[in-house]
Amino acid sequence: MLFLGVFLFLPLAVVFSSALAKGLAAYLASLREPDAWAAIRLTLIAAGIAVPANLLFGVAAAWAIGKFDFFGKSVLITLIDLPFAVSPVVSGLIYVLLFGLQGLLGPWLAAHDIKIIFAVPGIVLATIFVTFPFVARELIPLVQAQGNDEEEAALTLGAGGWQTFFRVTLPNIKWGLLYGVILCNARAMGEFGAVSVVSGHIRGRTNTMPLHIEILYNEYQFVPAFAVASLLALLALLTLFVKSAIEWKAKQQLARLEAAAAGEELA
Amino acid sequence: MSIEAIGITKRFGHFAALDNVDLTIPSGELVALLGPSGSGKTTLLRIIAGLEFADSGTIRFNGSDITEQTAGERRVGFVFQHYALFRHMTVFENIAFGLRVRPRKVRPPKKTIHSKVYDLLRLIQLENLAHRYPSQLSGGQRQRVALARALAVEPSVLLLDEPFGALDAKVRLELRRWLRQLHDEIHITSVFVTHDQEEALEVADRVVVMNQGRIEQVGSPDEVYNHPATPFVYRFLGNVNLFHGRIDEGHALLHNTAVQGKPPADNQSTLVYVRPHSLEIRRQPNGETHFRATIKHINAAGPLVKVEAVTEWGGPVHVEMSQERFRDLQLTNNESVFITPRDVKVFDGHSSD
Repeated sequence: MLFLGVFLFLPLAVVFSSALAKGLAAYLASLREPDAWAAIRLTLIAAGIAVPANLLFGVAAAWAIGKFDFFGKSVLITLIDLPFAVSPVVSGLIYVLLFGLQGLLGPWLAAHDIKIIFAVPGIVLATIFVTFPFVARELIPLVQAQGNDEEEAALTLGAGGWQTFFRVTLPNIKWGLLYGVILCNARAMGEFGAVSVVSGHIRGRTNTMPLHIEILYNEYQFVPAFAVASLLALLALLTLFVKSAIEWKAKQQLARLEAAAAGEELA
Repeated sequence: MSIEAIGITKRFGHFAALDNVDLTIPSGELVALLGPSGSGKTTLLRIIAGLEFADSGTIRFNGSDITEQTAGERRVGFVFQHYALFRHMTVFENIAFGLRVRPRKVRPPKKTIHSKVYDLLRLIQLENLAHRYPSQLSGGQRQRVALARALAVEPSVLLLDEPFGALDAKVRLELRRWLRQLHDEIHITSVFVTHDQEEALEVADRVVVMNQGRIEQVGSPDEVYNHPATPFVYRFLGNVNLFHGRIDEGHALLHNTAVQGKPPADNQSTLVYVRPHSLEIRRQPNGETHFRATIKHINAAGPLVKVEAVTEWGGPVHVEMSQERFRDLQLTNNESVFITPRDVKVFDGHSSD
């Protein structure tokens, strides 16, 4: 408990108390500041693209890995884990080396006037890469455990591929999917390393919330820094809350089923 | 609807699950695919269903080639060993599924679906459980729901993969009798897979005995049990004593005892099969052919008394007799007795597998 207090609750309290050190007005003002507002917007855009992209990818990968045997399956599983294994800074550097002006595709991109590095597309790409494993990792064991029987049953009953997916596969994985999406979102909004390398720290244009916090902090602007940080902290709390709510709901559903079964047996 | 499988071959890597199998199932019959695990029976069923596709060969329903059709297009009802009920749907929704996923043009109206599902619920005697989830049902109830779900789409054939395999012994017995009755009512061509010879012999009109990717014999329960075509069929359909014998001048000799039963050819060595209940134990020889044996173990629990003995040439022999006969004989362990084979089956010595 002491451990939890020192390492979890105390820092959280410090974030909020520092943010509100000069009163609520100063807190709100630092959030309304244009650069801070731009950072918040950019973070939402990056997460808003990365999370759906990885949702689609995660479901597709889990479905392919869980339901089929194919050549190169173990390679694919390893590749999915790659973003976990590689330092985010290195992932960011890889994008710079690929898309940067001196990079592999740099001259071609420059010739066509496409900006990826030090621009929004680079930030989105880096975020997608770093949050790549979350949904897939959450779903693969679930899909594998459930096997193919229900899908085959749906097919013999005349359901098409999409009908089978939306009516049978998806409902069976929805809690795991939601869980993966929440974790993916938390990471997408909080990502620092990879985004830092590709962003270029252009204030008001390519700064996400974590980058903005760092700059403010380095400039000794503690109230604005902690004000933005408090938003990320709130996001973390919200994530934890939704996560427990999902777990609680899933458990409650199970309990209700069991209670109903017990009741019928007594009757 | 009749089912024909012609020249079906299926390999998994180097393992031949089915090796050039031909099978014809007449319309309206209830057929059992019987065999040990790895005999290819489930693979054959899944190929008929369209859940698996053969490497070569043709499947025909009512004479028309449907080899390339998917499971949905074939309109088969498939019942899985572990039920495969949709766990997030109620019993009602499970049964209605096949009707609800139809394209809008051929989808029956809600009212029709409702009354049809309730008809099926009455058929499986589970009307009052329509709003339960599969997790709230017993194994036997789940399997009946799975059957109703398969029947809801009015399938052309009904295919069941080890339908009673996951149930306990008593429920299994009840459910297979119920399936037999059901089939007598609705006469849909049905094929079920089982490794339980008793189940196949009791339920099916016709039994297909499979082994190592091939069909050993097809026939009525009476035919396969009383006139087995191969040693495998004989062994698989019940307990059996196997003796090495030889053929001498047209007679099968078991050790030095001549036994009845026609040998297939004048062959020096042969295998002689006798069911445990076709051996008669006597205290005294009575002039009939016999051999000597010493009793080693007696198990008197159950409808038949099972006796283990050692023959005069040192091999084991199993004998079954009625409780009544056992009481008359008053057998004890280590007693020396005479055994007379009543009904033996002689196969070629080289065709042992």
